[in-house]
Amino acid sequence: MAKRTIQLALNRVEGDLEFQLELEAGKIVDARCVGTLYRGFEQILIGRNPWDALVITPRICGICSTAQLLATVKALEHIGGITPPPAAVRIRHLCLMAEIVQNDLRQTFLFFTADFCHPKYAQQAFFEQARSNFLPFKGRMHLEALQNSRHIVELIALFGGQWPHSSFMVPGGVTHPASDNQIIDALTILQQFTRWFEQRVLGCNLEVWLNLATYDDFFNWLSAKAEHAQSGIGQFTSISRALGLHTLGQGTPYMLSYGSLDTADSVRGHPLMGQNLNNAGCYNGITGLTEALDQNAISEHVQYSWFQPYPGGLHPSKGVTIPDYQPHSERYTWCKAPRYQDHVVQTGPLADALVQGEPLITALYRAEGDNAWLRQFARLRRTARLLNSMQASLKILAASPNEQHILRGISTELQDGEGYGLVTAARGALGHWVEVREGKIRRYQVVTPTAWNASPKDSAGRHGHWEQSLIGLKVDDPDDPVEIGHIIRSHDPCLVCTVHVAKAEQPYQVWPG
Amino acid sequence: MATLVWLQTGSCSGDTMSMLCADSPSVEELTTGYGLEILWHPSLSHVPTQTFDHLLDAILATRQTLDILCIEGSIMTGPHGSGMYDTYRGRPKMRLIQQLVAQAKFVVAMGTCAAFGGVHAAPPNPTDCVGLQFDKLAPHGLLPLSWRSSGGLPVINVAGCPAHPNSMTKTLAMLLSGMQLELDSLNRPTMFFKAMVHQGCTRNEYHEYHIEETEFGGKGCMFYNLGCQGPITLSKCNTELWNNRSSKTRAGVPCFGCTSPDFPLDAGLFNTEKIGSIPLNLPLGVERSNYIAYKSLAHEAAPDRLIHKEMDV
Repeated sequence: MAKRTIQLALNRVEGDLEFQLELEAGKIVDARCVGTLYRGFEQILIGRNPWDALVITPRICGICSTAQLLATVKALEHIGGITPPPAAVRIRHLCLMAEIVQNDLRQTFLFFTADFCHPKYAQQAFFEQARSNFLPFKGRMHLEALQNSRHIVELIALFGGQWPHSSFMVPGGVTHPASDNQIIDALTILQQFTRWFEQRVLGCNLEVWLNLATYDDFFNWLSAKAEHAQSGIGQFTSISRALGLHTLGQGTPYMLSYGSLDTADSVRGHPLMGQNLNNAGCYNGITGLTEALDQNAISEHVQYSWFQPYPGGLHPSKGVTIPDYQPHSERYTWCKAPRYQDHVVQTGPLADALVQGEPLITALYRAEGDNAWLRQFARLRRTARLLNSMQASLKILAASPNEQHILRGISTELQDGEGYGLVTAARGALGHWVEVREGKIRRYQVVTPTAWNASPKDSAGRHGHWEQSLIGLKVDDPDDPVEIGHIIRSHDPCLVCTVHVAKAEQPYQVWPG
Repeated sequence: MATLVWLQTGSCSGDTMSMLCADSPSVEELTTGYGLEILWHPSLSHVPTQTFDHLLDAILATRQTLDILCIEGSIMTGPHGSGMYDTYRGRPKMRLIQQLVAQAKFVVAMGTCAAFGGVHAAPPNPTDCVGLQFDKLAPHGLLPLSWRSSGGLPVINVAGCPAHPNSMTKTLAMLLSGMQLELDSLNRPTMFFKAMVHQGCTRNEYHEYHIEETEFGGKGCMFYNLGCQGPITLSKCNTELWNNRSSKTRAGVPCFGCTSPDFPLDAGLFNTEKIGSIPLNLPLGVERSNYIAYKSLAHEAAPDRLIHKEMDV
């Protein structure tokens, strides 16, 4: 059977993403995940005052800049042995949660469900309904998601001044206290948002939704009332399952979560671990067991990446990032290959929920494995949970407004040392590893959630998670493989932080000259 | 109807995310009320990328008109001038942009990266990136400074990191309405860059009476010690608030001068460089000896309510 190579570019992901796929008899037999951008942040940070990273790293990612800021401030506080006051921890995480809610809404209703309007589905029974809800700038859910995602980030602006790209978290706390005025404004934004979310995305209230705990609970709920079936999540589910997305996109069984979303209590004991809203760990989908996280077990490989080579893997605290463009070699990407205890892992809301042992997601995973629908579903499930946590957090802040928000006497000169900040960002496990010498940044390594998911092959030749989730897939139309779009977008890819170059011959006339 | 293509080069998507926060006008209002037809936006278009490829071919063969080309991100020219740090389908994006700008009636740099190089151009500029018509302060980027689009304008620099949401959508709305856009010497639309960030800052009374903070988290002014560039930077951040709510300086975060060609500065961003006890960079256009005299008098006149930081910001 003749082999065919296709090169696929994907839009509606953050950043540029391309795949080189080998097809045999309409089936993918090899996959290379290829981003197309190198930006050099780690080099830019070297030699600067460590505090400058609070301005530079949010610019790694426009959709999760608050998570990048939090990872930086945690790493700097780790180095300085600084424990921020409880109110600062609450404000930071309240803002992180608002950013994640924004992301989940935009990712679902701007990026993911738009695929249901693909011309290929014109003959499907759901097509008109999909267009009336999800068509960009015309569909009702698309427009409502635009408006409401705009409102929820106002909450970050209340505390941080603006979204995206503020630097309001600094070693020792946050730059502004939670005043009565801000607390009421934030509560108002959150309550209005939650009402919309309940009415339009869920079709029921948060409590009913979060009490669904089993496979049957969920599917009974879905058919119980017209409001449930007609809600955003109801339509997303019925269309996804009509397309078989619950049977596509199985990848690695190892699920990584950094937990995080620290509670004030956890921070008091230890700046990095402890009692969190989410557990940190690695869930093994084969055994169903979760092990606690050990950040020492993280390594990064570069055998198939455009970086100066080293054998095997290096822990990020020892990592080096020196670009080395070699167009005619086995290397195919600027992205490194991170591994956890030598496992290929996936990360994101599905992994977070499984590590946490969230009942409904665990039940659905046990019934059908990991798949494109469940990944996306886990994202919206998380949104509901976060809205509850935000409400609880604001109530605590409201009980004592203007509580101490920052330590006094913290200098912008940081002592020498090494530290790290691990955060659960919208897309999963985000880590920053920093080394400071003579008051300057000597080493700065970032391992983004998408670096885990979009990983190339490692030194042992094992494919990354997305590559694994595509190999074996049957593709209807190699010139327009919409299935791949569903699978990859279910991961909420963010390639703006990573880097790649493509080299296969071009199947299309792209532009002349 | 007017057509728009939006391309991302070396970017974080932050300008797109910021623009989705615009409300006066919103992006959806541009499409419904101002007749904007978005032929392509990498985050928002629902058509597959093959459609984009055909669209590019049609634009370059002049079968499809392109009224507005928006570029978000630094233009990566490395390694070694190849542009291969940022590619589309194996080809450098900088070449694609050179071809597309020739077809566009107007070209808009959305954000400081596309305008001046931005954060990626900070030392050591690992990707050899530039802006479209500027390389930081130097008047040449991917294109020479003398370049004009077929609509008669240079690249319109809606600077900011990210650009202010409503500045982006208002610029597009003006182009769509056929209104004249006046540009400043850095080719930024004057209407968004004719006020200092300092103007409208809620810490202004503290600044006025020279009550300066030495640590973060307080209510006073951040200009003297904490690196704030609000009195040096042109932008509407405090006169048209971010996300309808606030601004960095109101929240106690210094202005980092992100609308300026030299953003981010090389020196410590949270410290003010000084000559003696006076900032090296004074408020725009101010004479040093006069400023020193004014500040010492101002401090003498400060009321207790400010000295004791009783006033909220």
